[in-house]
Amino acid sequence: MAGMLKQIRKSRWGYLFISPWVILYALFGIYPLVLSFYLTFFDYNFIQPQDRAFVGISNWVQGILDEKFWHSLFNVIYNQAIFITLTIGLGLIVAVLIKQVRWGARFFRTIFFTPTIVSIVVVMIIGNYIVGPTGPVQSFLVKIGWLDEAVFWTSSRWLAMPILALINTWKWFGITMIILLAGLYTIDPQLYEAASIDGASSWKMFWKITLPLLNPQLFFLLVMDVINGLQMFTEVYMNFDITGGLYGQGLTPVLYLYGTAFNRSNVGYASTIGLLLALVIAVFTLIQFRYLQRDVS
Amino acid sequence: MTVQMGTRQVGRSKFVDYLIFIVLLIGGLAFAMPLFYILLNSFKPGREILFSPMSLPSQWTLSGYIKMWETLNVPLLFRNSLILAVSTTVLNLLFDSLAAYALAKISFPGRDRIFSFMIVTMMIPGVLFLIPTYVIIYRLGWVNQFQSLIIPGAVSVYNIFLLRQFAQQIQDEIVEAARVDGASEWGIYWGIILPMMRPALATVGILTFMGSWNDFFGPLLYLNKPELWTLQLGLYQFQTSIPGQNVEQIWAAMAVITVPLIIVFFLLQDQFMAAFANAKFK
Repeated sequence: MAGMLKQIRKSRWGYLFISPWVILYALFGIYPLVLSFYLTFFDYNFIQPQDRAFVGISNWVQGILDEKFWHSLFNVIYNQAIFITLTIGLGLIVAVLIKQVRWGARFFRTIFFTPTIVSIVVVMIIGNYIVGPTGPVQSFLVKIGWLDEAVFWTSSRWLAMPILALINTWKWFGITMIILLAGLYTIDPQLYEAASIDGASSWKMFWKITLPLLNPQLFFLLVMDVINGLQMFTEVYMNFDITGGLYGQGLTPVLYLYGTAFNRSNVGYASTIGLLLALVIAVFTLIQFRYLQRDVS
Repeated sequence: MTVQMGTRQVGRSKFVDYLIFIVLLIGGLAFAMPLFYILLNSFKPGREILFSPMSLPSQWTLSGYIKMWETLNVPLLFRNSLILAVSTTVLNLLFDSLAAYALAKISFPGRDRIFSFMIVTMMIPGVLFLIPTYVIIYRLGWVNQFQSLIIPGAVSVYNIFLLRQFAQQIQDEIVEAARVDGASEWGIYWGIILPMMRPALATVGILTFMGSWNDFFGPLLYLNKPELWTLQLGLYQFQTSIPGQNVEQIWAAMAVITVPLIIVFFLLQDQFMAAFANAKFK
């Protein structure tokens, strides 16, 4: 009896300690999830919320048939394909070099990591300045004759997303590098010693030992990059107008959602776009877990 | 996870050592260059920023800083950013560590189910919450109030997860012994668990503070009055006005926003990298 009382008293503390999360998640997690789904069946705006009209599944039909939505989705996938290739490629090279370097490993780690802490707003302004039409990169390319004339990349149909990916690589590459480096340090050096006794080249060791053993880190990075990258907003909001530029070259699903909700005040449809994007992200994540997770423990 | 350095291959030629070092040095300098630009350009006259971007200032001037000070209420922006970042961080440290302690060391019915549920919620993309949360905040009348960002951001499942993993490594005997001695659960949390979790709390503190300080989308959505703007929103206002007009102010403002963060980063660099890599570097 006394034991049970004590257990109840202890449980009470357990519930009390997790209650902030429970309350806040109920209010700002579960309730929004339900509301999000509910809103997709209504024509609803912030200005006259009382004029809410039930529209059935028409928002969903409109979303699935909406070329703009699929175009915006194409844009972020295009962007992420380049971004992920660059960050993981560069990240691997630099992580391997930092692990091997004889002097200053700590210094290099810090230098390559620094852009990570700079805000996206600042990064976009600097990035735009460096790769912009009057910036140092283009001036140099024009001078050596690789470019005929300076390019306004934000108004280019095909260059906008790759250049954004390039700027973002500068900002985020440090995290990729540091995660891969942490993975490298956990690899047992004896594996390399044994391989080198067997006469394996460094190149072969990289492919046969390093890369397979970095699988968990690479998988984690890929999953997180896709989840975060498909939700890109600030980068495009800063560089393009709310329509995503003349050809929609800068339109992302979240920018489209933002414009739909806050410019055109169509909250029900904006909510539908959010759910559609979340579904696409879920599909991507599932595919990754299904087909890429083989060797990941 | 603690990782050691010094796993360099033995018997490698000096030439390769120098080569690796030089490649990293050039790459590292190229990476850091844009950050030097911020400082350099913030002291240049506007014409020079536009027409000779690479050069040192021909004359060092504070005019960018002065103009920025005249157009923007810098102390107010700083204050707003600090209010948001500090309160979000403090609340997260408290609430997340309390939940982590309960999930790791107090047994109560439903505990494991709650934890599994938390893990599932981590996979839900944030975009799903965007519109409905705005609707809720709007109905609560919190638009243009700091609590619109502070309250929903006061707990984080990711942080709870990190702290719980850490708290689990604390030996059960320590907690049990304290309970036998008659310590209350709050007393154990405050007197034993919190001090032992200090490294993990540093991680959570850094991630939360940086997330809030650098956040643009949240303040853009909820803080529409100039007197509530954060540093990031203030900087954005410069960017959107007439192009090329206030180039001096932009660079001064970027320096003001970025330099304090970089100083903190250099002081706490090991903790910062541990926070992101979830591993400790020696």
